[in-house]
Amino acid sequence: MVEATLVLSLGTAALMGACATIAGAAEDLESDFGSQSNANSQVQLAPQVGYLHRYYNKAVSGEPVAYAFLCCTGAAIALALMAALKVNPVIALALGALIASLMYGVYATTAYMGRLTSQKRFGQPIYLDILYTTTPSIIAHAFIAAMAIGTFSYLMNWVLGQPFPFPILAMLWGVIVGGMGSAVGDVHYGAEREYQNKPFGMGLPAAQSGKIVQKGEAGLRNSIDVAGYCVKHGAPLTGFGLGMTVFSDSWREILFTQYWNGWGAMVAGLLLVLIWVIANRILEMWTRKTYGPYKTAED
Amino acid sequence: MDPITLIIILLGITIGGLLVGVGVHFVPVGGAPAAMAQATGIGTGTTMLAFSSGALGLISAGFTMHDIMDGSLKSAYPTFGPAALDGTLFSISGITSNIMPILLVVVAGVVGAMIMMVILAVVANILYAFAIAVPLVSAKVKFDPITGDRQDLYVTRGTEGHGTPTVAVISSLLGGLFGGAGGALLYLAFVAGGFGALGVAGIATAAFLTIGIFFVNSVLASYNITGTIEGFHDPKFKRVPRAIIACTIASFVMGVWAIALIYLGVGVV
Repeated sequence: MVEATLVLSLGTAALMGACATIAGAAEDLESDFGSQSNANSQVQLAPQVGYLHRYYNKAVSGEPVAYAFLCCTGAAIALALMAALKVNPVIALALGALIASLMYGVYATTAYMGRLTSQKRFGQPIYLDILYTTTPSIIAHAFIAAMAIGTFSYLMNWVLGQPFPFPILAMLWGVIVGGMGSAVGDVHYGAEREYQNKPFGMGLPAAQSGKIVQKGEAGLRNSIDVAGYCVKHGAPLTGFGLGMTVFSDSWREILFTQYWNGWGAMVAGLLLVLIWVIANRILEMWTRKTYGPYKTAED
Repeated sequence: MDPITLIIILLGITIGGLLVGVGVHFVPVGGAPAAMAQATGIGTGTTMLAFSSGALGLISAGFTMHDIMDGSLKSAYPTFGPAALDGTLFSISGITSNIMPILLVVVAGVVGAMIMMVILAVVANILYAFAIAVPLVSAKVKFDPITGDRQDLYVTRGTEGHGTPTVAVISSLLGGLFGGAGGALLYLAFVAGGFGALGVAGIATAAFLTIGIFFVNSVLASYNITGTIEGFHDPKFKRVPRAIIACTIASFVMGVWAIALIYLGVGVV
């Protein structure tokens, strides 16, 4: 029967990885819709340097904290529905994610109004059409992320036997998805989409801070255009990163814990880390050869 | 619970908090400038970056601990589970007879945190390489201390580096090592201190207390860092001694509260 358990666990890990990939992509897009992605300070700074914009601006907290709150709320509501009203887990998880994402929408609205009213002295208007069209997109993507994270946290607790109650797992994974979206997906938003007026193939010079792109492909740029662009690289890579994290960590624990009294899983984990470091070195050498050097050595 | 065990638990909490505080200094934090390819490092804040890796370390340590206490490793380490539940794990005899499973839980935290850290750094590097088209360089050193590659010629104009080069990746792994070990040690101290005997609620409380102490120490460390740091090769790394003092004091004070809770009768008498 060991094999049956193993197959079930591995299948669950794969499902969790798939959920995490969707969650990561949805998280990154949601943060791009709201300009919560780094560098969110630039959207706040832009009106102060004379660049009025039509971006949605809701970054009153970092992504990891916001997502810990969102996912934990959704999972806690789901747990309450399951425990008290005996609701089917799938329906409970969906209802929990729905209520949590609606709450999140309230916070997004108040954050948008609050951040932009603080910029009245710089002449930044509050666009109600932006509020009406972007907030539902934020709620929709937050729902996908909260549902996916709640689902794989539940699977991790229920099938794989992780001992933490699943709302706490959802909170921890919320921080992780926020960290992943912030570290990976935001680079595409902050370094490229916000500053497409600089030449491609360079970092943003510090003197350019705040001078964000105001015009879009057609008309003035808004946050929905931003998400439409970041869906090409930022969101898929965030999803890939989170999916890899969830799957590879579960995979090594499921398969290799049985060897050397548990040390097999640790050795497998360290080998995975080594593979990533080697891959990074190859990538580093490739970028150095392809893009640089930008100056000639004087010494 | 006898006084020596309580003191050992207090020591465990203090060392765990200290390890977290020191580990945060190794993490290459770039913050918003890194997200604009304006500075080297990973593009998110200090506290959240450290905590993201610590969270996976905590999940992984919880997993392994569950395996040892009730799962597939129970037969390999039969004395660990009962000792953790009756509060004798951190007595001197408990530690000597259970040193291997204790090490295993700590290493599980380390490996989880390292996996998280390396994926965070390298997946972001893929984006720097193919969506922003910049090399992975640091502007704080002229030559990478590990690979020996020249750095200053590869920095684009007006920036202080971009991406996470090899030295910063290695530094992030050291951060994962310290942070993961610290988080796992904290969790172990709380579970063995009596919270483990309370079932699911106790495990939840232990996880939450660990998260709390983790946050306090990573916030203290990020005050010390003030903004961005590239890792152990960054001049700001010389500020670590201050963080050691601050994190030791903070963790000790929180540890005293924790053992007061334990002494006043959480779970184990």
